[in-house]
Amino acid sequence: MSNVLTRDVLIKWAPLIVLLVLVLFFTMMEPRFFSLRNFARIGISSAPALMVAIGVTFIIIMGSIDLSMEGTVSVCAVVFAFAFIALGGTLASWAWLAIPLALLVGGAIGFVNGLVHVLLKIPSFMASLAMGFVGTGFALLLTGGDRIRVEDDLFRSLLTERWFGFPIMCYVALLFLLIAWFIQSRTTLGRNFYAVGGGEELAHASGLNVNRVRIMGFALAGIFYAVGALLAVGRIGIAETATGSNFMFVSITSVVVGGTALWGGIGGVWNTLIGVLIVNVINNGMVVIGLPGYVQDGVLGILVIAAVVLSTDRKSVTFVK
Amino acid sequence: MSFERIKPHLPWITLLALVLVVGAADANFLRPANLISMMADIVPLFIMALGMTFAIYIGGIDLSAQSVANMTTVVATIALPTFGIGAALICILAGIVLGAVSGFVTTRLFVPSFISTLAVGGIAFSAAQYMSGQRALFMDAEMRDSTFGWMTGSVAGLPAELIIAAVLVLGAWFLQSRTTFGRALKAVGAGEPAAVASGLNVNRIKIMAFALSGGLAAIAGLLFSVKLSGGSPTLANGFLLPAIVAVLVGGTPLTGGVGGVINTLIGTLIVAVIRSSMLYFEVDATQQQMVFGLILITAIALTIDRTKLRVVK
Repeated sequence: MSNVLTRDVLIKWAPLIVLLVLVLFFTMMEPRFFSLRNFARIGISSAPALMVAIGVTFIIIMGSIDLSMEGTVSVCAVVFAFAFIALGGTLASWAWLAIPLALLVGGAIGFVNGLVHVLLKIPSFMASLAMGFVGTGFALLLTGGDRIRVEDDLFRSLLTERWFGFPIMCYVALLFLLIAWFIQSRTTLGRNFYAVGGGEELAHASGLNVNRVRIMGFALAGIFYAVGALLAVGRIGIAETATGSNFMFVSITSVVVGGTALWGGIGGVWNTLIGVLIVNVINNGMVVIGLPGYVQDGVLGILVIAAVVLSTDRKSVTFVK
Repeated sequence: MSFERIKPHLPWITLLALVLVVGAADANFLRPANLISMMADIVPLFIMALGMTFAIYIGGIDLSAQSVANMTTVVATIALPTFGIGAALICILAGIVLGAVSGFVTTRLFVPSFISTLAVGGIAFSAAQYMSGQRALFMDAEMRDSTFGWMTGSVAGLPAELIIAAVLVLGAWFLQSRTTFGRALKAVGAGEPAAVASGLNVNRIKIMAFALSGGLAAIAGLLFSVKLSGGSPTLANGFLLPAIVAVLVGGTPLTGGVGGVINTLIGTLIVAVIRSSMLYFEVDATQQQMVFGLILITAIALTIDRTKLRVVK
């Protein structure tokens, strides 16, 4: 029993401890790492990733997975940029409508993901992977391979305007983190995610419309991907097919490293915050201490395997595919 | 009931129908020379799909195939001046090792294959970037022709790629249908708990299936690299989706156990015909990915064995 207890406690606090150890390590290697300037840099790279990772957290809590984020983010970014420019090109005009439009598009794509997964009974990893390819293809179709510049100063103030050293996009991300936390802990939908992830058959037997919860989960995730897309466009001022690339690997790694189990039912958005920070501290720290940037994918690969291994209770799993 | 009976024949019927439709729209399409060059072009993709078949046949998936192929284009280009023909062996060995690592992580560490192969793919991508110095590398033309020229030449009027593909598919078919290992693969794909209960070393078989997938992905990368006379960490990007589509459209379902390498041969031909038909009907190349994504969803929905999935997660 005490053995189980230490394991649980370890799993709960391990991500935070890892994060602190990493910060300590990089500070010792290179004191410049521990500065407001550098923390702001980490915050900027974390903000879009955090939004996408929060979206997929809900799905992973349900025990499913969503691999469509690259396509969804690209489509949302491109649709936003086109609408924004068509409606006036500055936040001070009707162009602000492009923001709710992007969220709507994200939610709609997620909704379709959920429908494909639930109605056609296709495992979510494959349904969403295929939909991700469709999304990237659709974004390519819309842009024809071009980059769309969003140069409105008011919109770019997401990056340029700073409060207490951090740009506004960090506070926007924080606001959505709080919203996600509210959804997770204070709404029926949020509790239902855990019910489905903890034991689908039990949830079904107790009268829960599991399919509806799943579809809603994917739609909700899509909205958060759209927020991620907006922040990503705000960060670089460009919307293109490649806006979404790399989000899949980074966000899945973040969620898993943060301590949300792939099997569902455990973890939540705060875990994801820690996970995103771990991934971005590693990325940033490696550059700061002078390691080449391309080591990242390999390190993330090892990290995600380690995290899944640590979070898996090997006695309860008979076999995996 | 009747649909269930037609289902195993759907792939080749689809292929035939597609060929007839495209042939009717453009008679040039049916010229033997055109068909042969179309098939020769698809060979690297076919080899990757052939490997992917083994991963899907046991009910897993290999999302690292593209990164492994990318890595081998770099390895082949770097190793060619020093090792000559040995470069091919190094490439294949690297692919087998990466595949085996995916298999080991999946079976022994209980990490689902779509995550483990994604992670191993990340490692392969980093390795490729490290070795290439993040540049596109080029093979010395003379050295390439003297060492690997046989891969791209022609034998008795047929492109050598087709011979390579034929040898590989025969080998894979033999392995799948005429060896104990092949029977064991089928047992694992058809029902893993039963395979365990009947005393099979399921973990070893699965690791070998992933190793085969990695090895064939490496051969695909090698051939592609010789064709384009160079290597880069992103050279084979765009292979993953059509490779998965080829396996599933061919009739090997995501749940494994049925189908096999001959199905993948048919599936790859379907992909090839769809690709060239898009050229004939002047569908913009930017729409290809979308089309293949939708085909993928349709193929999975039609082939997947839902009795094996008590809960669809």
